[in-house]
Amino acid sequence: MSVARRAFIQMSVGATVGILFTPTVWTALDDVSIWTQNWPWIPSLKYGEVKGVPTVSKMCESGCAVKVRTVAGEAFGTEGNMDNPLSGGGICPLCANGVQVMNSPTRIKAPMLNGKEISWDDANKLVSEKLAAAGSKVAVISGDQTGTVNEVFSGLLASQGSDAFYSMPSDMQAADKAWTGLMGGSGQIGYDMENADVVLLAGADALESWGPTVANMKAFANNENGKFIFAGPMQTRTASVTSKWVPVPAEGMAAFTLGITYYVLQAGKSVPAADFDQFKAMVISGYTPAKVEAATGVKADAMAEIAKQLLAADNPVVVPGGSVAANGAAFALNLLLGGAMKVLPEFGKAVETAMTRSEMLKQDILKGVSADVLMVYEANPFYALPEQVKGAFTVAFDSVETETTAAADLVLPTPHAYERADDLATPYGVASATYSLGVPVSKPTLNVMNAADFVLGLADLGFENFDEVLEAKVTAVGADMDELAEGAAYVLEESADVSGVTLAASVLGKAAVPVKGTGAVALAPYTLLNVGTANQATTPNAPCTISNNQLIGDNMVVMMASATAKKLGVGVGSKVKLSGGNGDCEALVQVFEGVLPGVVAAPLGMGHTVGDEFSKGKGDNVYKILTVSSEAAAGASTWAGSTVNVAKI
Amino acid sequence: MQTKEFKIQWGMVIDIDKCTGCGACMVGCQVENNIAPMTKKDPYNYVQALTTDRDDAANKLKTLTWMNVYELTNGETFPNHETAYLPRPCMQCGNPACVPVCPVVATEKNEEGGIVSQIYPRCIGCRYCMAACPYHARYFNWFDPLWPEGMDKGLSPSTSVRPRGVVEKCSFCHSRYLDAKDKARQDGDDPMNLADGAYNTACADICPTKAITFGDLNNPEHKVHELAKSKNSYRLLEKLGLAPQVYYMSEREWVRELGDNNNADGGGHGAPSKSHG
Repeated sequence: MSVARRAFIQMSVGATVGILFTPTVWTALDDVSIWTQNWPWIPSLKYGEVKGVPTVSKMCESGCAVKVRTVAGEAFGTEGNMDNPLSGGGICPLCANGVQVMNSPTRIKAPMLNGKEISWDDANKLVSEKLAAAGSKVAVISGDQTGTVNEVFSGLLASQGSDAFYSMPSDMQAADKAWTGLMGGSGQIGYDMENADVVLLAGADALESWGPTVANMKAFANNENGKFIFAGPMQTRTASVTSKWVPVPAEGMAAFTLGITYYVLQAGKSVPAADFDQFKAMVISGYTPAKVEAATGVKADAMAEIAKQLLAADNPVVVPGGSVAANGAAFALNLLLGGAMKVLPEFGKAVETAMTRSEMLKQDILKGVSADVLMVYEANPFYALPEQVKGAFTVAFDSVETETTAAADLVLPTPHAYERADDLATPYGVASATYSLGVPVSKPTLNVMNAADFVLGLADLGFENFDEVLEAKVTAVGADMDELAEGAAYVLEESADVSGVTLAASVLGKAAVPVKGTGAVALAPYTLLNVGTANQATTPNAPCTISNNQLIGDNMVVMMASATAKKLGVGVGSKVKLSGGNGDCEALVQVFEGVLPGVVAAPLGMGHTVGDEFSKGKGDNVYKILTVSSEAAAGASTWAGSTVNVAKI
Repeated sequence: MQTKEFKIQWGMVIDIDKCTGCGACMVGCQVENNIAPMTKKDPYNYVQALTTDRDDAANKLKTLTWMNVYELTNGETFPNHETAYLPRPCMQCGNPACVPVCPVVATEKNEEGGIVSQIYPRCIGCRYCMAACPYHARYFNWFDPLWPEGMDKGLSPSTSVRPRGVVEKCSFCHSRYLDAKDKARQDGDDPMNLADGAYNTACADICPTKAITFGDLNNPEHKVHELAKSKNSYRLLEKLGLAPQVYYMSEREWVRELGDNNNADGGGHGAPSKSHG
């Protein structure tokens, strides 16, 4: 068939008219414009019954009592637990992001041996062999300050004939070394900030990072008439709400406290301690306000004023932070004042062969750890203390990838806090002995095992699994399992015996002398929970809460007063290198007048090399530039007195 | 301009002297309202080689912080320097600047309770409202919300997820208001007369120092009613006449002055304001 010219023209015109009248083309164009802009992925929400399940979260150092919010059984958020005195409805910014961390892609999905997945049975066999070969050369580093899981690890060490139980450096450890080590006390120190009328926070950043932060904040909020005073090298967030900030260098905190003690002794205060006369003579001769002013730069008038307020108060308390000497000085001052410092008894043990909490705090991790088999439980020593920690064979128990899991030979994934049974016994600093229980809220979706269950499979400690250990603990505490599981805390209003406590006069006299490094400026490292801690990096939703005073882009920011910046020849936005310890850090300069002149304030917790995109490569790691110095007299190590050199780059 | 009267006026009183700036409220807000963490990579972008990475949370111009904590300083040098923290939700103004400028009526102040709504499917992303809001309380979705792999299963049932290209803001956790009213109906109570605390926002709930108090400003049985009238209470940029439903409190004079309240009684423009500069 041939197509005539006319037929071809007719068809062309017909087709053109047809296209103009058919909606197909226009609809298709419309669809293209819509579908090219559409979401490739449409998030859908789950609906159903919303519940709040009480449990404990271990992301911050002291742990938070929380309620995990679930919808149709799926966890989505975290809120406070009104029924628990550790929370009172509030939680910290780290634990507020708990569910997001639980669902994070950085979770460790299965046991790994040098990067290759292995079975739990093989892991058990391997660790058993290594333990048998290592004998007593086994060490444990725990990042958990309050859990009974420590008793299980300690029991394992006992069965190996080792006492090498290390905790990450903490205020709890410094306080314990001062109280039970130097002063011969027993139990754990607590502070009743809620009922005190004058609270001197001597280096304790209590409303941001020190001790049971959320419980402290609750106490601060409920204490309507109390006067809070903060002493420290920088105006921390705590100092932004206290009635006064007294600038005191970190290494001078013990001397500053003894300078106040001088006035308290002059006012005639005494305690029936064996070495009271020696203590009094030491303070009156060695820590006169003039001498303390010369050594620390804190004006004698300022100390006199604080002493006056403490003496006039009915129920004052001094809350120390920093070195062992600073803790000892504060405890001595508290004993003289007779105020709101408490001495809490320790709950009974579940594992018979385990150490007491105080015994677990005795080893000094800053002096170094070396073992044939090193077990690390939910701690990140390879980030915070890379030079101190060495293990021939390292086993890391953690739920997310960290520098420590990356460096370990064997990585054993633990369930996230919301997926497991756990407990929280008397975090350091609370006013009464407190016990809370955590129940699993979500079912584990990964190939994980509770670290305690794994350890119980290695040594016969008289328990089949960790649930049995927790039951034994609850019995030893004397609490009711059902009430605990419903979120209530068991609170014991008893005090430990303080008779026989000394004031450690001979040690404090020497240990309180400020010792500073040789660098150009003093370093004031500080912790903000939203930036992260030594063990826990920042969380997915927290980065947008981190201010330009800590992080700009990927650069860490350090703060200093304008006088310091002028002296160093730097200004806002200058890029500098800080050198100290055995390393250096890069940072941008911010001028913040709330830093003592001659001091540079740097945020801890950044500069991760392993982890998710929210923490990895963000800022620099200030732990690298901390100097470990020996508190010779107190037999301990401290980071206080670290100095750095600052070079413009 | 006339301010619309409501029988119920949900509002906040934020005690700056209690706020430590910890950031828990900001995290709690993001979790409650399904604000995605900011990720650089978009796995659904199939032409990544041709495009640049998305911004992460370091770029504060592109973050979505319905609740944002500002740091205040008294501007003095050491040792007289003082600092304070100011949490800033949407002010839910009685006379909002954002509502009349919206060309598509995507934001309104109509519902009993006085919460300024934001209707995401209606928003065309012109951002006039953002320009109008003097509190910077409104945010534009520059990117598709993306949760890292696996994290999307823990989404909150409270708020639908917004696409890129729309403006969003604090809604005083509006779905909690609906829930509280539903519960009141179930319990046989009056949903228009909720007890103090029956409806609370996520930020106020989570705050460890209880710096944020939430309630009905018109209801004498609610704590905020008295707190808002206390002698240290003030509102931000009160002279603009937007009548915010969020009040602040501070015993520190310099903090109150930074709120630009020194012209509250009608000093008008040009009156001296020593806290600027």
